[in-house]
Amino acid sequence: MSDDIVRIEGLVKQFGRFRALDGLDLDVRRGEVHGFLGPNGAGKSTTIRILLGLMRLDGGRITLFDRDPWSEGTRLRGDVAYVPGDVSLWAGLTGGECMDILAGVHGGMNPGRRAELIDRFDLDPTKRARDYSKGNRQKVALVAALASEVGLIVLDEPTSGLDPLMEQVFQDVIRERRQQGATVLLSSHILSEVEALADRVSIIRRGKTVTSGTLADLRRHTRTSVHALTGSAVASLDMVAGLEGLRTGQVDGSVETRFTVGPDELGQAMGLIHAAGIRGLTVEPPSLDELFLRNYSEDETGAVSA
Amino acid sequence: MTGTAAMLAIQWRAQRRRLLVWVLATVGTLAFTAIAVAQLYNTPEEIASYGQAVVSDALVAINGHVEGIDTLGGIIQDEFGFIASFLMPLVGLALVAGMTRGEEESGRLEALLAGRIDRRSPVVSAMLLVVAAVVVMDVGFVLALLAAGIELGPAVLYAQALGMVTVVFAALAAVCAQVVLHSRGVYALGFAALGLSYVLRGVGDVNETFWVWLSPLGWLEKTAPFADEQRWWVLLIPMAVATGLTFLAVGLTRRRDLGAALYRQGPGEPAASAWLVRPIGLALHGQLGSFLGWLVGSVALAAVMGALAQEVVGAILGNPSVSEAMGITRHDAADGFLASTQVYLAVIACGYVVQALGSLRREEAAGRLEPVLAGASGRMRWLGAQVLVVGTGLVVIVVLSAVVFGATTSLSTGDSGYVGTLLVSGLAYLPAELVMAAVAVLLYGIVPRAFGLAWAAFAAVTFIGLLGAALQLPDWVLNLSPLTHVGNPPVDDIDTTALARLGLLSALLASAAFAGFRHRRIPQG
Repeated sequence: MSDDIVRIEGLVKQFGRFRALDGLDLDVRRGEVHGFLGPNGAGKSTTIRILLGLMRLDGGRITLFDRDPWSEGTRLRGDVAYVPGDVSLWAGLTGGECMDILAGVHGGMNPGRRAELIDRFDLDPTKRARDYSKGNRQKVALVAALASEVGLIVLDEPTSGLDPLMEQVFQDVIRERRQQGATVLLSSHILSEVEALADRVSIIRRGKTVTSGTLADLRRHTRTSVHALTGSAVASLDMVAGLEGLRTGQVDGSVETRFTVGPDELGQAMGLIHAAGIRGLTVEPPSLDELFLRNYSEDETGAVSA
Repeated sequence: MTGTAAMLAIQWRAQRRRLLVWVLATVGTLAFTAIAVAQLYNTPEEIASYGQAVVSDALVAINGHVEGIDTLGGIIQDEFGFIASFLMPLVGLALVAGMTRGEEESGRLEALLAGRIDRRSPVVSAMLLVVAAVVVMDVGFVLALLAAGIELGPAVLYAQALGMVTVVFAALAAVCAQVVLHSRGVYALGFAALGLSYVLRGVGDVNETFWVWLSPLGWLEKTAPFADEQRWWVLLIPMAVATGLTFLAVGLTRRRDLGAALYRQGPGEPAASAWLVRPIGLALHGQLGSFLGWLVGSVALAAVMGALAQEVVGAILGNPSVSEAMGITRHDAADGFLASTQVYLAVIACGYVVQALGSLRREEAAGRLEPVLAGASGRMRWLGAQVLVVGTGLVVIVVLSAVVFGATTSLSTGDSGYVGTLLVSGLAYLPAELVMAAVAVLLYGIVPRAFGLAWAAFAAVTFIGLLGAALQLPDWVLNLSPLTHVGNPPVDDIDTTALARLGLLSALLASAAFAGFRHRRIPQG
């Protein structure tokens, strides 16, 4: 068995005239938490449904554990747990019963871990599902998935109903599961969550993969923001290739300079600032937010590739 | 098939109450009918007289052509015929629509099929559960028939023939669930098929053609459980058809995406019209589809019955000894038949109001009510708009059905006086139907979780309306149904003071409903 748990190449899915997926690529390696980022309607859920054999593909290739999920999925999915984006439970059954049903169709739960997670997620498993809030319904599905003995955990925007405290519990549990050897595919549009958890990230937009790699890889293609206070004006900044957003001003007798710059020219820009006599300096590494926004801005599609 | 056992266990846990209710309702209805008939017709002379009284083409069209009508079993089959034609298919449609497309719509199936459950399993396990429910139902039927004094052989054949109707419509629903996107679409297709089966069987019986053999309801009567010569082999037809349809449904599940259907709607409006954003417009939008279904069903029944009126007149006048003894003239020969048809139409109208008002509870449970009420739209205004739309729908159904009924009756009998008479008798049922509506609103307004009681009330009204008179139920039972108080027009005079009382009662109940809705917790699932 290869090291790629999931391998997707050029995936195409058409809904009538609408092309939901238009050549999407994704690979998830054994033992990693893979962040799957994209705005609403980018095709994240469609990709996951094809991966789980719930939908057929119209083009491209997809394998789950090196097998075809549509024709062989039933057997493969015993080793997968899944939390759908919209959790719907059986209104008349209790949370505990729903959880056992959901986990039962996968590998079944580790009873110790089930009890532990119910406790950590502060869930009352004896309540009827119709009386649960959205967040608590999501917790039921999360406990079922995270307490399952499976190799791959697929989560489709799993924390949209959770409060910050529970979000923290969720992140802790994901890290523990990874240490125990599970692979996680985490679809999200919450950047901080992906930043906190993911080893590698794929960003998709309009059914295409825009970029993919480790966070360090991705940051290599983005810009650092610099805010400097210097004794004299910084000379020759306009000679630095790719320097953007240059603004200058006076603050308490110092010259204030702000700009953003790509990773290759950062050293050159720093030299120039140093020459002008540094009195204060703030350098911010690119956040995933910037990465995200940059990859979404219409005109820059395809400009960045890992 | 992987996961079918697991799927069976899941569906059983989630659906056992519904299964139980349907089994009890069907067995109870047949048991009650059979035992009441056995008590009424307890001498050979009475049994023989029944056969002579009911042999008219119109009644054959309605209840079916019963072979062996000169036996106790034949009378039970005849009396149960009309109800069975709708009840047995409904059980199959409702169970399978809920367990397949309904679960898929809710999103629950997605979570299950993402596990070790084959995508064919939900259909297979739904059909297995229906068959299991039918087996239990059949046992109940047999026990009820034995208790009524029927021999074991005919009882078993009749029970199985009835059960097969449920199984065939269940399999049909399984196919429809692959074709359309929503469970209400499954119901719509299923009811269309049911209407067609009923008409094919009716026309085939009257004209004595092979059309009967094209209808699942025809297979039921062609088994001839109470005739001298029973036809056990006819059971093979529904078995084969149900098996074929189930295989078709299972095959279709392998060819489609989850959440998709073979038929899909095109894109819709990009923005709501000025009309849709008002409470009344939204209410209308939500109710329109099912309203049209009920309207078509009601008008179709009215048209068919009206067209049969002349047959009834002919049959009654063709038997001078009976008609003279009862003082029947050409002018009022059809009245008894027309009066029972008015009751059928009133039952349909009651079904419409209960179903339409029940959709309010679903709106609330699905969480669509909160955002509406959180806005500028007040509770009273919202409920008022909904009730107004349902009430208007009721009036439209009643008036159009009465007009069509009057027109077709006039055409078939050549007596134009029926247009006015039947319009008046149709309208006379409105206050009674409003009481039914008010009971439904009251339940929704105060204890939405108990809305099932509105359906139970509807079932009681249906049973009393369709069989109360024939089974000679005691007056206090008959009087439980608001329809009884109308006065059975056009046979008897309309009881106008009773209508006023019914109107007042519905107004009181509705006020209580609005008062309750004003104060209760929203949402309640």
